[in-house]
Amino acid sequence: MNFEVIIGLEVHCELTTQSKMFSASPVTFGQAPNTKVNEVDLGMTGTMPVLNKTGVEYAVRVCHALNMEIDELLRFDRKNYYYSDLPKGFQITQDRFPIGRNGTMEIEVDGKKKTIEIERLHMEEDTAKQLHFDDHTLIDYNRSGIPLIEIVTKPNIRSGKEAAAYLEKLRSIFLYTKVSDAKMEEGSMRCDVNVSIRPFGSDKFGTRTEIKNLNSISNVQKAIEFEVSRQEKILLQGGKVLQETRRYDEGLKETVLMRSKGDAVDYKYYPEPNILPIRLDHQWVLDIKEALPEMPEERIKRYVEKYQLPKNDAKILVATKEISDYYDEAIRYTKEYKLVCNWLLGETMAYLNKSNTTIEAIKMIPKCLAEMVNCVVDETISSKQAKKVFDLMMETGKDPETIIEENHMKQISSVDEIRKIVCDVLDKNPQSIEDYKNGKDRAVGFLVGQIMKVTGGQANPGITNKVLIEELKSR
Amino acid sequence: MYGLTITQLHDMLKNKEIDIKTYYEQLFSDTNEVQQRLNAFVTITKEEALAKLDHFQFDENNWLSGIPFVAKDNYSTKGIKTTASSRMLEHYVPIYNAHVIDKLAKKDCIMIGKSSMDELAMGGTNKSALTGPVGNPYDATRIAGGSSGGSAAIVGSGLVPFALGSDTGDSIRKPAGYCGVIGFKPTWGRISRYGVIPYASSLDHVGAFTRSVEDMAIVIEAMSGRDERDMTSSNRPVEAYYDHLTSDIQDKKIAVIQNIYDQISNSEIKENFDHIIDLYKKMGCTVDFVEYDETLLKAMLPTYTIIANSEATSNHACLDGVKYGTRVDAATPDEVMIASRTNGFGAHIKRRFILGNLALATQNQEKMFRKAQRVRRLIVEELNKIYENYDVILGPTAGHVAAKIEEEETDRLTDEYLILENHLVLGNFAGTPSLTLPCGFVDEMPIGINIMGKLFEEQTVLNAAYALEKELGLKNKYAKGEA
Repeated sequence: MNFEVIIGLEVHCELTTQSKMFSASPVTFGQAPNTKVNEVDLGMTGTMPVLNKTGVEYAVRVCHALNMEIDELLRFDRKNYYYSDLPKGFQITQDRFPIGRNGTMEIEVDGKKKTIEIERLHMEEDTAKQLHFDDHTLIDYNRSGIPLIEIVTKPNIRSGKEAAAYLEKLRSIFLYTKVSDAKMEEGSMRCDVNVSIRPFGSDKFGTRTEIKNLNSISNVQKAIEFEVSRQEKILLQGGKVLQETRRYDEGLKETVLMRSKGDAVDYKYYPEPNILPIRLDHQWVLDIKEALPEMPEERIKRYVEKYQLPKNDAKILVATKEISDYYDEAIRYTKEYKLVCNWLLGETMAYLNKSNTTIEAIKMIPKCLAEMVNCVVDETISSKQAKKVFDLMMETGKDPETIIEENHMKQISSVDEIRKIVCDVLDKNPQSIEDYKNGKDRAVGFLVGQIMKVTGGQANPGITNKVLIEELKSR
Repeated sequence: MYGLTITQLHDMLKNKEIDIKTYYEQLFSDTNEVQQRLNAFVTITKEEALAKLDHFQFDENNWLSGIPFVAKDNYSTKGIKTTASSRMLEHYVPIYNAHVIDKLAKKDCIMIGKSSMDELAMGGTNKSALTGPVGNPYDATRIAGGSSGGSAAIVGSGLVPFALGSDTGDSIRKPAGYCGVIGFKPTWGRISRYGVIPYASSLDHVGAFTRSVEDMAIVIEAMSGRDERDMTSSNRPVEAYYDHLTSDIQDKKIAVIQNIYDQISNSEIKENFDHIIDLYKKMGCTVDFVEYDETLLKAMLPTYTIIANSEATSNHACLDGVKYGTRVDAATPDEVMIASRTNGFGAHIKRRFILGNLALATQNQEKMFRKAQRVRRLIVEELNKIYENYDVILGPTAGHVAAKIEEEETDRLTDEYLILENHLVLGNFAGTPSLTLPCGFVDEMPIGINIMGKLFEEQTVLNAAYALEKELGLKNKYAKGEA
């Protein structure tokens, strides 16, 4: 029997605002535990929430990027449950009236385009972080109250590959809209997956399982693929899929049971009484859309149409926003769009991999890369010299002009100047002229070598060759 | 040194008739006396208060300079135990101050202690306090009322000129009436609630007790104003209530709700109330009796019960023994929370939490909590109809004087209880300013009258009280008790 796979994704993303969603304490990562908290984050009785306007702005940005309808009347609810990482005993979230609804995102899988429908986007706050030990649990409240947005798709994802494509693109939207660093391995982007299968043609959904604790996009795909085959086996053996929460075990490469859903909690959502409904200024919402940075797709389009880059190159550049930003900065100083792209995707990427560093950390600034490319094109330096200049720029951060100057790398491209040197060399090597006349081509190589020796390798090889042959023939 | 008002004490300090250190020494000795008689304090902050006196400088342009006060024990006080009279918070020491505490400290007020209350402000008798019942200053065998019973009793004893309270149903105004003092809760949003341990956020008001309307104007003015930490606090500029006090209230229009008036069964209270109506008429006010939908009046208590307990159950979900508060150790974090909450709350609190959870449960929420919210809106709309034609609404604070501490609770299903004893909650549903003023004595126990105004018209309410206070001659009454 063939089964259709039904997948819905819930993605949480931590926003990199200055302060927390409902308190004035700072949003930080990797600080000493419980040093970035105040009485609000600790759920001290009597404290009250104050909504972070930048948090709302970030949510609006992502809503726009996902083509969502925006509810300009902000309303917040309490989600009530007891858990030791939840200091207030409730989480402030948006249950009934999420800020964003009915979004779409186009993805491409194996050359086929598909539109993923997005149900909702809402704002909420993060919980504290628990560290479990054998006989005790420690709680770090630094994370408590960090702004979150949650984005929920409709169940119209059909494969692990589609899920991965959606997540890749969503991640790049978070990066391009500058709302988050969206690192799944560090938990600033988190994904829960709902998976069910049903026989093709059926219009009823099968029982779904939820997979949590996925720390990379590739694991999301693997977990889905495992889970689908697990559910298929159960159904084919005449069994029943149980509604349960599972997690992906990286070692086993399997999903394993966390808890069954029998004891589902009633969250008793109700309106947060300390935040009265807030009417957003319509113009403010529009202004955010206006100021939205260019999205990845627009950027690829620009690279292909305006700079005539091959689509594949454009995609690779855009895949990492920082690389793409670097490229955009570099091409402000040159018209050699393709060459800069080549240097970035070739030598630069290789350098980053080899040195295990990132584009933000390197010493060579975009302007210098562009200037170096210009030097190659106007034949100030040869391609071979360019490689040396590149290495020195990475090493020292100096600009190409200085490096060329300091290393005497400026090419001699003047025909007259080269002719003078060629003549000098020929005068000193009558035997080589003789050899040439006798048909020994090796002589040319020897003479070029002599010329390069005299010029310290700075003679333009093309011109040198041309002039040398001319002079040899005339003698 | 009992019975000094803010203005009197200020003038004495200004004219150097009294040395502030001598005054505070006497004050703390009197405090012990009051505590022995009334059991109204949870904590006496003598050390902290005297430390403040060390670098105190009197400012004659600030009415509140050096004035002592008491805060209800649900105002968070940094470094000072804040128990809300609950076992759960018996040893809890906050790391921050409530906004109002900060404001009063900036005004150089000096807090001398934290007062007893019904556990977590849930109750009307102060009998549920962890430290036991509070005695009424006029008869220590009677209740002070609740939930701000300690504050009301302390001001009623004449010890300090003012005290802070909080009011979710009538928790300032009822005890004020029983203890013969002024109790005022201004408009919801006029004073920041930040740092006051909540009961039900949409109904919670902060306010104060004093023995003169002048003092009340001074105190409320100091407490009011926008606080960036409370999004529900108003941006409206604070008015100069004290400067604008006037007893000229001619042509003000006063409404008395007939259905509430009709429930007064105590003839002396009724007589007193009629007398007050006459006084207002003599002052040039019109006083009319108006009808209020009786079904809605009877719906007040159930509506209140559902909304207040629903909000309370999540407001107090933070009290789980994990971060602060009385923790009972157990094997897992879940078990710690269960054990701590089981141990930490009184039976009546648990009953209210269960009720609140029932009303919020998904399968009940529409027909209980959401319905109560809709009924609340109807109740407020009916009230607003009265305000279309009247400046203030006048009513009795209670149908009887303070009950004996030993007395059983009254039957909660009589019309008198449902309507007369609970009508002050109208001011919480609507968020309107509401003030109780002592207006006489029945069986040697004080009774009060309630004046409720329109949103943000604190001044109108204060002036109506100011005018009546002059006529009644009950300003700065207090009951020091037998020495």
